[in-house]
Amino acid sequence: MPDAFNMDNIPFSLLNEDEQALLGKNLDIGYFQQGEAIITAGEKPEGLFIILKGRVSESEAADKGEEGGGQHIFVHYENEDYFGGWSAVRGTAIHNFVADEETICHILPTRTLLDLIASNAQFADYFQQNLAVKSEIVAQHGGNQDMAEFMLARITDATVREPLVVEQGTSIKQATELMRQHKSDCLLARRGGRYGMVTGTDLLDAVVINEKPLDTDIIDVASFRLITIDHEDYLFNALVMMTQQQIERVVVMDGQSMVGVVELTDVLSYFSSHSHVIGLRIERAGTIEQLREAAQGLNELIKALISAGVKIRFTMDLLAAMNGRIISKLFDLIIPADMQPHVCLIVMGSEGRGEQIMKTDQDNALIYRENLVWPGMQETLNRFSENLISFGFPPCPGNIMVSNPEWVNSVGDWTQHLSDWADTCEGNAQMNLAIAVDAKPVAGNEALFKVARNWFLRHLRNNDVFFSHFARAAVEFDTPLTFFGNLKDKGQLDIKKGGIFPIVHGVRTLALEHRILKTNTFQRIETLVEQKVMQAEHGSDLSEALALFIQLRLRQQIRRAEEQEDGLDPTPNQIDLQQLNKLERDLLRDALHVVKGFKKHLATRYHLGG
Amino acid sequence: MIIPRSIRRYKERKEHREGPWAELFEPYKGDEVVSLDCETTSLDVKKAEILSIGAVRIKGRKVITSDRLDIKLKPPASLSGDSIKIHKLRAQDLVDGIELEDALKQVLEFVGNRPILGYYVNFDVRVLDKFLRPQLGFGLPNKAVELSHVYHDIIKWKHVGGDVDLRFDTIAGKLDIPILERHTALGDAITVALMYVRLKYGETPKNIY
Repeated sequence: MPDAFNMDNIPFSLLNEDEQALLGKNLDIGYFQQGEAIITAGEKPEGLFIILKGRVSESEAADKGEEGGGQHIFVHYENEDYFGGWSAVRGTAIHNFVADEETICHILPTRTLLDLIASNAQFADYFQQNLAVKSEIVAQHGGNQDMAEFMLARITDATVREPLVVEQGTSIKQATELMRQHKSDCLLARRGGRYGMVTGTDLLDAVVINEKPLDTDIIDVASFRLITIDHEDYLFNALVMMTQQQIERVVVMDGQSMVGVVELTDVLSYFSSHSHVIGLRIERAGTIEQLREAAQGLNELIKALISAGVKIRFTMDLLAAMNGRIISKLFDLIIPADMQPHVCLIVMGSEGRGEQIMKTDQDNALIYRENLVWPGMQETLNRFSENLISFGFPPCPGNIMVSNPEWVNSVGDWTQHLSDWADTCEGNAQMNLAIAVDAKPVAGNEALFKVARNWFLRHLRNNDVFFSHFARAAVEFDTPLTFFGNLKDKGQLDIKKGGIFPIVHGVRTLALEHRILKTNTFQRIETLVEQKVMQAEHGSDLSEALALFIQLRLRQQIRRAEEQEDGLDPTPNQIDLQQLNKLERDLLRDALHVVKGFKKHLATRYHLGG
Repeated sequence: MIIPRSIRRYKERKEHREGPWAELFEPYKGDEVVSLDCETTSLDVKKAEILSIGAVRIKGRKVITSDRLDIKLKPPASLSGDSIKIHKLRAQDLVDGIELEDALKQVLEFVGNRPILGYYVNFDVRVLDKFLRPQLGFGLPNKAVELSHVYHDIIKWKHVGGDVDLRFDTIAGKLDIPILERHTALGDAITVALMYVRLKYGETPKNIY
């Protein structure tokens, strides 16, 4: 092929040899002067344009009614980028594409493009401009497959054990004999249509500690509160669940029917990484020192997972569970046992959402029962915060931690704070509120927290003015799509302002309005989709966009942290565009498009025009 | 026998006006140009044998690479070490090549009566003529457009005195045109086509010194 057309770039690399030959045979080359329109909105484009050299900007067709006619440029395209595919498929262009500098493009005629779309389904998917699908294709096509697939194993991929099922009326002695026979260390006891779990430990406890006779019905010692997981779910989630619930087996369900049991050892045999080893060390820590050692192993684990290309969501889930365990273990060690039922420790902000990966700061607070008398409370809490800092959770710059008495409140005061913040439009109050509505209880008496939360959600019902104010922050920062043009001189992008915050905050507002109790942004999106507040495809696009932002940011954070002597990243939210490859830039651009659309949606919904 | 080219052309036009190639002698009215390049065994017209021919049409500011000529010929006896170093075509690369006779017909059909563009185009035209004459009795009647002349005409106003550097790579560099595949016939033809479009429609390149 004598053309300088690079077939290695996605989506062209998806084509097979014959299709690539067809593509090569039909390419033309066009030359465009600076300022010349390559595609004009409303007209039929010639085909798909792939830039050989130069720069092209995409802008909205100027509305006739609009004053000033100032065109808004969305995106710049550069070398090897392609554009116009969607317009070509659709028949008419909706945006203007203008050469920013002299540009030479390969032109793939619409007819050939359509032929290729008809013959290659993956290639066709790529032109649907659907971020979720695109990421999927990239993931399938990209490297690092082995590890990712390995970590993405489904429940059914692991050994799902055939459970030993006994009927009601079986005695403890018979049951134990059966277990010995089947070399099983747990069984399921059936009473009517329900199953209860009995483990070896349960039997031991029943006979030795509670001194029950050997002919006791097995039903009496079974636990009917089963922790279940769907058979299609990820094995990783089973591990997260076991870590969270401190159990060693989960029951696998297919809809309403039981498939079997997955045991911790089986899951572990799949995950050779030391994630669970750390989990076990956390569990077994009897002193603060032991706990600290365990906590410090987490950063290494994160790096291992990230470099192995594990999907960011699973990493986050796992870490959120781990961090939660660390904090609640520390709570157990520091807070006197007689006080624990009267207080509730909550984590907020990114930790409350379970989206913290590198430990960036600690946002936590304590809620206590009205009229609680606890003389040394503040000193104990100070000690708690200090220890967390020594574990590697940096102090919160806004001083939102339990060592600050402002964040230690009785239930009544806490609800009062929430409603005060909701009634003020002042920035600080809005920020506090945004942090507080992501709160999640991690230790102590959860009921205290739930009372306050439920009261607050009722308080907000139908308060349109509040939501309108609250949502405004999400659209405040401009989404920086035009950055791409100036890769050379201005290759930095604040991904938090431009991408992460608008999604997180917008979703938070929607979740608050629909009284969704989940705090994780991905779960909030899923619930919003289930409640039909959001369309399924928008939901998955938003999730993918957010995951991409977090992943890109994380990779650069790790790199920068390693370069710094103190191991801390000075600019945690910057994305250096030059570090990204062509594909990542493509995806980033699409993801920012998604954010833009979402902000538009928020503006309409909460009347944020102007 | 040396007859000036224009006189000979006039004679050939008269002779072939009624023949099967009459169309070639019609004056051209369209807006297309054909960029053409040959890889040969020598830079001396008398010794040169053609190895490959590449050509693309230029329509307005578009280079129609989808409709192109990319011919490899049977290896000639004179294929020698020196030229192989430049065009990297060995005898075994040309085993699928076609006969010169067919190749010339394809060229004539592709080019028609359009002007021919090239870099040192006279060399290519004269080599083609050398083989055309014995076969059909005429040389290429087309108007020839020399890329380095087009370039020079534009540059010289900015460059009073001194010589303009007309080397292929220099021109491509000044015009900021990517060189697609140097020393393949089709690659050079496309690059020359892009340079031509760039000169014709683009702004005069800056910093030519």
